[in-house]
Amino acid sequence: MSSLTNQNQNDKAKVTRRTAILGAGGLGVFGVLAARLYQLQVLQAEDYRTLSENNRFNFNMLLPERGEIRDRFGRALAKNRQNFRLVMIPERTPEIALTLDRVAEISPLSDRQRDRILRDIQQNPKFIPILIEDNMDWKTFSALNMRLHDLPGVVSEAGQGRAYPENGVFSHVLGYIGRAGDRDIESDPDPLLRQPTFRIGKTGVEASQEKTLRGASGQLKVEVNAKGRIVREWPDPKTRAVPGKDVWLTLDADLQEFAAKQFATEDEGDDSGGICVIDVITGELRTMLSMPTFDANLFVSGLTQADMDQLNNDPKRPQYNKAIAGGYPPASTFKMTVMLAALESGLIDPTDAVFCGGKIRLGNRNFHCWKRQGHGKMDMRDALKHSCDTYFYDISQVIGIEAIANVARRLGLGEKYQIGVGGGISGIVPDAQWKQDRLGTGWRMGDTLNSSIGQGFVLATPLQLAVMTARIANAQTAVMPQLIIGQEMEPFKSLDFDPAHIAYVRDAMWSVTSEPGGTAYRNRPFAEDSGLDGVQMAGKTGTGQVRGISMTERTSGIRHNSKLPWKLRDHSIFVGYAPFDNPKFAVGTIVEHGGSGAKRAADITRAVLGEALRRDGVGSGPKSEQGALR
Amino acid sequence: MRARGQVFQGKRSTPGGLLTSKLFEINWLLLTLVGLVGLVGVVMIYAATDGVWQRGAFQHLTRIALGGVAMLGVAMIDIRIWYRLAYPIYFVGIILLFGVEFFGLSVNGSVRWIDLGVFRFQPSEIMKPAIVLALARYYHDLPDWRVSNVWGLLGALILLIVPMGLIFRQPDLGTTLLLAATGVAIVFLAGISWRVIGLASVFATIAITIFYQFGLKAYQKERILTFLDPSRDPAGASYHITQSKIALGSGGVHGKGFMKGTQRQGEYVPENRTDFIFTVIGEEFGLVGGLMTLGLYMAVIGVCIWLSLQCKEVFSKLMILGLTTTFTLYIFINLGMVMGLAPVVGVPLPLISYGGTVIMAVMGGFGLILSAHLHRGVELPRPG
Repeated sequence: MSSLTNQNQNDKAKVTRRTAILGAGGLGVFGVLAARLYQLQVLQAEDYRTLSENNRFNFNMLLPERGEIRDRFGRALAKNRQNFRLVMIPERTPEIALTLDRVAEISPLSDRQRDRILRDIQQNPKFIPILIEDNMDWKTFSALNMRLHDLPGVVSEAGQGRAYPENGVFSHVLGYIGRAGDRDIESDPDPLLRQPTFRIGKTGVEASQEKTLRGASGQLKVEVNAKGRIVREWPDPKTRAVPGKDVWLTLDADLQEFAAKQFATEDEGDDSGGICVIDVITGELRTMLSMPTFDANLFVSGLTQADMDQLNNDPKRPQYNKAIAGGYPPASTFKMTVMLAALESGLIDPTDAVFCGGKIRLGNRNFHCWKRQGHGKMDMRDALKHSCDTYFYDISQVIGIEAIANVARRLGLGEKYQIGVGGGISGIVPDAQWKQDRLGTGWRMGDTLNSSIGQGFVLATPLQLAVMTARIANAQTAVMPQLIIGQEMEPFKSLDFDPAHIAYVRDAMWSVTSEPGGTAYRNRPFAEDSGLDGVQMAGKTGTGQVRGISMTERTSGIRHNSKLPWKLRDHSIFVGYAPFDNPKFAVGTIVEHGGSGAKRAADITRAVLGEALRRDGVGSGPKSEQGALR
Repeated sequence: MRARGQVFQGKRSTPGGLLTSKLFEINWLLLTLVGLVGLVGVVMIYAATDGVWQRGAFQHLTRIALGGVAMLGVAMIDIRIWYRLAYPIYFVGIILLFGVEFFGLSVNGSVRWIDLGVFRFQPSEIMKPAIVLALARYYHDLPDWRVSNVWGLLGALILLIVPMGLIFRQPDLGTTLLLAATGVAIVFLAGISWRVIGLASVFATIAITIFYQFGLKAYQKERILTFLDPSRDPAGASYHITQSKIALGSGGVHGKGFMKGTQRQGEYVPENRTDFIFTVIGEEFGLVGGLMTLGLYMAVIGVCIWLSLQCKEVFSKLMILGLTTTFTLYIFINLGMVMGLAPVVGVPLPLISYGGTVIMAVMGGFGLILSAHLHRGVELPRPG
């Protein structure tokens, strides 16, 4: 009994001792846990708070609204519209293929779209939203919105899309927007460019005014849960996106549309060509049009191969901006330049007559006047009025190409204007140096003769012709063209011509349209019911030869233009300004293969010039909506 | 020889007759503390489920209440009955574990549950108090001189290894280790000699090494490896630990406030209603809340130890201390895991984590503790 009790006692003591040991150990572990809590929640609390915030918040980039492009009266030529689209943020989408399948159940995705999406996902950091589909209709968009809870990482946006409402007539000027390419991203560090839903200007004003139009990105702080679903937004006015500024053009949208209508033909679609209307005082372009046009909206929404082929294969090359990039022989419209050079040189008396027998012989080569039977005796004024080539062949030999080229440049030819639409060309004002540099051969007198009637090497664009005409009309300053309102312009230089010489040229240009026998007398403005009573126009026709005329053809009779295939017909060119006594607008028009300058180009110029004047309040009558002038 | 089964012994003996006076004798301090911890659980589950009462908090409250009743019921039962039932309960547990082996439900790749139609439960949870009962009885019956003897050790080892093996096969590494640790603690408390402890330590080190090499499934190894080097898989296995530490650390001293935990709202910490519920306490109530919880647990454990000291019988002492050890180990493993000190093993925070079987098992355990204390004057049979 006592041994048992002892054992029991012994046992109990032992258990108590060991309980104390275990208890102490347990206390130690509690101490460690408490110390760990202290470490986490006091010593490292700041770090973990930051991590927690990082967990909790994402910063979504806010895209700025692109500025609009407007005409001089504020009419939107490029504007933004609601674009319902679906994007995916890959880092928040655990199963991308499955998620796309689910999207496709509601809004079918083509294999091509899928490939593009997967490629985009691969090529971009995982936090960047990838466009799944845009320009969705409201029904599909709302159906997808209902299913968003099944689509982790998929976000629906009512974003901004670009629209060009004016039916394509501004396509060449405005250009279009598109996704930034690798080169854009390399040259521009703005992180906006890396956003696959962001669009930048690719051509035209959209590209040249990119800085103004773009605006600046903002940030939206959003609270997200572990699955990436946005729990709540934390808008902060300081981090809002800054919308781009509007760009205002000097163009007049109605006038531009009116001009485009003038290019329509009865049976051959729109004529191909370009026209510029310029304010002869300020240089503001009221119209700058290249025909035919194309729909820039197609470039925004994505061009199909078929659209692309059609654009590229059209012989009238709709994408090509003929107004500033089309170089044409100015033909007889160049004769004012030769006249001014002659008068300036003092070597020619304008009253001296030259006999035109239909051709002139230089060495063993004949230079023909457009009128085979010849004009007879022509002084300088008559020569312009009748567009006598022989007269200019004759005087150009006296004054020489250098003097002609000098005047041509002062009148604005051969210059590439920085008006904010890329792709312009400088054209060609040839001289001996130019020929040596370009062709490596010496200048010949025959080159001078060809140049004197605006053929041969001379090339000009509708814009350059308009500027040339504006400078003649202005008489004082070297007007520079302007397209974007607010664009910084240097003060115009002085033209530095003797006012009497300019007056002489202008009078001759008046005779072209206003005296019987003038090449454009048929188009004399402005009919009595046009509302432009008493307003007179001065101008000059030009017929740009595109083919060599053979000897046999000359003897057997030159084939009439309308009998030739379109590609071989002459270019129809006309320059003009009005009102004659107080010039306001100048116009340069080229209609590719439009035949004689006295026809298509002159008709179009007269109509557009008349409409421009009416819209500007010149003349007494009511504004004509149709612009019919007869 | 002393008379067996003598009911009234000592001055502060237990009144056997009147139920009400017996109830009065129960240690109400422990009951209150356990209830308090349970209420902490209700509040935190409420927060963890975004304040939706029906998504756990209500069930938890019901279980705490039911568990409290069960606890009282268990406490009222005479310790001699528990002494007699020690082995039967153990064997029922073993049978149930075998049952899991054949009829168990598979949840998340582990087969731990038995579905009885009305409710499902985990036999491994039953095994936790059962092993304590069995070992306490074993050592109670074992003469002192055999405690460190080979045969004496072997008996304890067999009692321990059979359920451990069955639970490990489910597989449930956490409970297996918990069982092992509890068993070792009881063997230690029973008075095994230090020499055996030293030898066993050496042996255990070797055994664990071999076990790790051949006995663990790939995901179990991965858990241990990611615990040792969290950068192994930042989005996967160590995600739990990282997010859990962020939740605790960002709580700071005072916490973000009740229902204001952003880690919780963002659902960054998985399982925060069950195993990771301490992250909600730490995030919303900060160091203050965390230490208060630790304090509450320490109080519970302290009271239990204090109760064990008042008992005379080896069975009672070992049972109380064994059950307390299990309870304490739950806390250590869970908090160690949540704080990034231990690998992620599926061990709940007792009385606070959502989960029915655990609450019933733990509260049943406290019932046993109360019973042992209540009947501390009762003499148990002792083999001669």
